[in-house]
Amino acid sequence: MTDAADAPVEPVASADRHRPLIGVVIVGAFAAVLAIGLCALPRERAELPAIAREAMTIALPQWGTTEPVNEIVYGSRGFDTFGETFLLLAAVVSVMTLGRQRETRNEYVGEASAGLAEQQRDDPHSRTDSEEGEARQAEEREQDDSSTTDQESREPEAAPDDADDDPLGQPAPERAAGMTVIVRVAARTAAVPLSVAAIYLAAWGYSPGGGFPAGAALAGVILLLYTALGHRAVGKVVRPTVLEPLELFGAAAIIAVGVIGLLRRGSLFANWVRLAEPETIRSGGTLQLFSAGELIEVGTGLTIAIFALLGTEHDWTPDESGGDQSSDGSDRSDGSDGSDASQPSGGHRQGGGS
Amino acid sequence: MIVANYLVAGAVLCLGLFTVLTQRNLIKIVLGLSLMESSTYLLLVSLAYRHGSTAPVLLSPPKGEGQTALAHGNVADPVLQNFCLTAIVIGVAITAVFLTVVVRLAQHYRSIDADDIRDLRG
Repeated sequence: MTDAADAPVEPVASADRHRPLIGVVIVGAFAAVLAIGLCALPRERAELPAIAREAMTIALPQWGTTEPVNEIVYGSRGFDTFGETFLLLAAVVSVMTLGRQRETRNEYVGEASAGLAEQQRDDPHSRTDSEEGEARQAEEREQDDSSTTDQESREPEAAPDDADDDPLGQPAPERAAGMTVIVRVAARTAAVPLSVAAIYLAAWGYSPGGGFPAGAALAGVILLLYTALGHRAVGKVVRPTVLEPLELFGAAAIIAVGVIGLLRRGSLFANWVRLAEPETIRSGGTLQLFSAGELIEVGTGLTIAIFALLGTEHDWTPDESGGDQSSDGSDRSDGSDGSDASQPSGGHRQGGGS
Repeated sequence: MIVANYLVAGAVLCLGLFTVLTQRNLIKIVLGLSLMESSTYLLLVSLAYRHGSTAPVLLSPPKGEGQTALAHGNVADPVLQNFCLTAIVIGVAITAVFLTVVVRLAQHYRSIDADDIRDLRG
């Protein structure tokens, strides 16, 4: 990919733009048409559309909610939300399918590093065969580019499983898969009110609704804990066997709410629950159920998508490096030659570190 | 002067489109697509705005009036606000898929330059 043997072998893209003049012409023409259209849109003094006025008037009598936006999201335009939810589900499935690792999957992130720690604990001075050693070194360099030079001088000691077991007051950064004790305490402290706020948003928040933001906030709490405490801290929850059934349960609950409405009231997502007093936890009829389904769906969906993305990091295509892999045309011949000449065997990054 | 918001949304959309058309870096192309998505949020929320309106919430009506009066009052368009919520979730989903594709492409081709990814070329 690069010519010089000692150049970094990170995936790079050329800095220059691709045919900017044609781009300017196309985008300019598009912008002109767009501007004409945008100027013809209704302005701030236009009448509210009939559908919006309808939603305002039926929100309280028909759905028992004081939040017309939620009435639209989960009620009168519930089918839109249904489609959007299953688009999210389809996206999550796509992300997982594309990001599926070759190894057996028990966690989304951290299998390689967990195995590495165990290996070092069992046999700190293990000398594996050259190919594995090179692969490990390459991966280590990928994780921490700064440690390439003095790798031998500071003998790595296996980090404790739990970041809290790492003794305090060390001069060096703490080695466990977590951040410093200050960040860990802050994250643990913040996680509790954030989780409560997220649940409150979905359950109460003046009126039904709020499943989307609440789900996003819950996914954020999980990410916060993951960032601060490391993957082992969230590993009990953030694993496919927990999240994937949970997400499908949320999706099934949404379908059930819609279909029961169809069977009992004659239209999909019609309200079939007795309306409670507005501004109470049970107000809004099926809106609250739909919102709860969304909370599960969005919370788990976002978490799965993010962790599946994070988990793809150790799955690079093996570089057979005989040059036979780069079967495509002459465009890449420079790069292939460069890397071939630098190192005939032992992985793509070999040339970069030496 | 809400039309200024519309035009800014259009400008952001064009900026994203220009990025998608002219960049070779796949990450920047995904950023351009995200920018195009974001412009729709601005457009939808601006379209929902009405001069001097309140939020479409049937709470605490002005004194002497009931909640039904509030339903006929001057409020922002709740349907378009709903569309904005929908657009946000779809934007997240699409960005996640695109990023995964980019990660896979980077792992397979060891490059995120769109010029290097030519296996589908006829």
